Amino acid sequence: MYSKLHENNLNFPFRAGGGNDIQWCFSQVKGAVDDDVAEADIISTVEFNHSGELLATGDKGGRVVIFQQEQENKIQSHSRGEYNVYSTFQSHEPEFDYLKSLEIEEKINKIRWLPQKNAAQFLLSTNDKTIKLWKISERDKRPEGYNLKEEDGRYRDPTTVTTLRVPVFRPMDLMVEASPRRIFANAHTYHINSISINSDYETYLSADDLRINLWHLEITDRSFNIVDIKPANMEELTEVITAAEFHPNSCNTFVYSSSKGTIRLCDMRASALCDRHSKLFEEPEDPSNRSFFSEIISSISDVKFSHSGRYMMTRDYLSVKIWDLNMENRPVETYQVHEYLRSKLCSLYENDCIFDKFECCWNGSDSVVMTGSYNNFFRMFDRNTKRDITLEASRENNKPRTVLKPRKVCASGKRKKDEISVDSLDFNKKILHTAWHPKENIIAVATTNNLYIFQDKVN
Amino acid sequence: MECALDAQSLISISLRKIHSSRTQRGGIKLHKNLLVSYVLRNARQLYLSERYAELYRRQQQQQQQQPPHHQHQHLAYAAPGMPASAADFGPLQLGGGGDAEAREPAARHQLHQLHQLHQLHLQQQLHQHQHPAPRGCAAAAAAGAPAGGAGALSELPGCAALQPPHGAPHRGQPLEPLQPGPAPLPLPLPPPAALCPRDPRTPAACSAPSAPPGAAPPAAAASPPASPAPASSPGFYRGAYPAPSDFGLHCSSQTTVLDLDTHVVTTVENGYLHQDCCASAHCPCCGQGAPGPGLSSAAGCKRKYYPGQEEEEDDEEDAGELGAEPPGGAPFAPCKRARFEDFCPDSSPDASNISNLISIFGSGFSGLVSRQPDSSEQPPPLNGQLCAKQALASLGAWTRAIVAF
Repeated sequence: MYSKLHENNLNFPFRAGGGNDIQWCFSQVKGAVDDDVAEADIISTVEFNHSGELLATGDKGGRVVIFQQEQENKIQSHSRGEYNVYSTFQSHEPEFDYLKSLEIEEKINKIRWLPQKNAAQFLLSTNDKTIKLWKISERDKRPEGYNLKEEDGRYRDPTTVTTLRVPVFRPMDLMVEASPRRIFANAHTYHINSISINSDYETYLSADDLRINLWHLEITDRSFNIVDIKPANMEELTEVITAAEFHPNSCNTFVYSSSKGTIRLCDMRASALCDRHSKLFEEPEDPSNRSFFSEIISSISDVKFSHSGRYMMTRDYLSVKIWDLNMENRPVETYQVHEYLRSKLCSLYENDCIFDKFECCWNGSDSVVMTGSYNNFFRMFDRNTKRDITLEASRENNKPRTVLKPRKVCASGKRKKDEISVDSLDFNKKILHTAWHPKENIIAVATTNNLYIFQDKVN
Repeated sequence: MECALDAQSLISISLRKIHSSRTQRGGIKLHKNLLVSYVLRNARQLYLSERYAELYRRQQQQQQQQPPHHQHQHLAYAAPGMPASAADFGPLQLGGGGDAEAREPAARHQLHQLHQLHQLHLQQQLHQHQHPAPRGCAAAAAAGAPAGGAGALSELPGCAALQPPHGAPHRGQPLEPLQPGPAPLPLPLPPPAALCPRDPRTPAACSAPSAPPGAAPPAAAASPPASPAPASSPGFYRGAYPAPSDFGLHCSSQTTVLDLDTHVVTTVENGYLHQDCCASAHCPCCGQGAPGPGLSSAAGCKRKYYPGQEEEEDDEEDAGELGAEPPGGAPFAPCKRARFEDFCPDSSPDASNISNLISIFGSGFSGLVSRQPDSSEQPPPLNGQLCAKQALASLGAWTRAIVAF
């Protein structure tokens, strides 16, 4: 018993029942320094792989960049390994649908890693219409000593060959290759917003605004439609699917969230088409908060199961909610991300910020959740201590191991020193995508075009 | 929650968003547009209730002054099931138009219309709870403020479609009542926008694309219906329409259209349009080519059902002139819509996207998508010719609207 506790404490300093709170330090920042952001460089998704060794980002230009953590001697290191570029490749290109006269954006909406089965790594990346399975493999040896080719590739004149030899593999500089192994196309009429790999590691789902399809990783020419909420008459449309995810342990269970703020849990064993949910998670609206924008701010932008599978977390515009899968009528925990924005919804509607889709994530032990906000702020909520913290991703604190200073937004009234008033928040600097290392306290936070990596302070 | 913007501005901002979403890369974003339509619906509800309150106040003041018979006439006139309001709209009176006397009954009538609208709205809300269709509602709400929304909202609330209850075609039931225009407002005529933010199911042939009537409907309750003339600055005002499902039954519809320029309101009788449509051999609903410009409505226009008409010489004259000038767009609407639906079966997802937007902006768009007024048709009745001219004159507006979508 003691050893298990001890093991946990090594990695998760958020100790239940007190103890020092974690101190987050700047580790690295990736991306261009200029303020002039090229649209193609805008980061659109961030995801650690299952071991945490690899960190993938996708951008609006359709590229995927994978960072790899250096393997260091952990006992002696001052900090955990740094992440360096491992592979970069163009995943999706802009396309044009001639039939509908529509341009299909190449922006990468989601990346999901497959668990590693052999030396190669596999990930799924998707844009609005097409999902691709990429194989990322290393090559650090190459054959030398061909009989008919010179080392530089030129062909030898066969008549000059007098002896035969067997080519041998010799070390070479590491080369990382990415190749598309499967392309899953033409299954989505609307824009894909989520992909999620099943715990069976054989199938995965992809969700667009109105439908969810189930695929087999090996089969690209067909998929099963498992959810279809398209009404017979589109004029009666009242909600769309905003996110979907498979349960981490039950391969028959998945959830999908809607623009109306509801989450439906479906069991694929119940029927082929899971239009009827097994559970419906919905919190009644607080009538005192009713406004023009109630529907918009209740739309769920992200849903994530906890690692344990017991809870799920949803993000709407102003809050993060934790739901117990066993209780449908209300969340067990609600955390306000930036309640001070409630009185600003009008302006946020005008400048379109109210449509921003923030993501959220769990830490490895499901004790802390994190999500982004504006002004390059991001927030963490400790579920055990009920404490929360606001930090900023900024190049100002870019010395490694600089501890980040907590920030505070002053909603109204007197602004204390070091507080920032709501009106001086920069709504163009938004953190929509964050990711937490599955095992350690390392987080990746994406600002518009930069990727920040923070680690907890290691003494 | 306090909002810095009033309902009108919100509505125009929302419409602008919907408009601009069309040009964004990656196609129309269903989710965002759906959310915007919710805002539209909410804003419209607020606007409606504000208007209602205002008109109620006015009525309180004018209650004793006006002889009741006008109102009765109008009520009697209304088509069965149709809200009196639908038929009641007098000519628009912009700013200083109309005499004070005319205004009073107008106010009362507007109030009555608005009241009916509200009733319908409540009815619809009830239905919506069972069969939520906020989109349509919102769509309706998406009054055609011109892209760029000059905040000429008067049209919006009315436009707010009171969709017929889910799935039920509305024969004999009041359909989208006309927009209860606010009392004569000194609003400038809205810029030509031919966007008809009407309920998608507005098949009525006579419904012209409605531009936000600068000073909504108002006026003398007794004003006769005017033929909607598209003119170059489309001052259209759509009346109530039958449900699309009615369309199959010979466009059975009663549409009231209001010409903002001439301030004449015209109501077209049931069935009339379709006959004309079909007769012209250009009725799309008959599977033919582009409907003749407003032919049917021409004939329809002549029927001025306004009981008060006799009393309003001016209006009658106007009506007379305009009777021959059916709106270029109005008669086409239902036909156009049918045609559009032929074009794009629901199975096409993109059509769904488009139909959503069309829902928002009213079936006037379906006409835009599918047809051009054909001025070179066989000799249409005199009315038709004039209609053609009107249609051509309004082409600019149509084109603008086409550009919008």
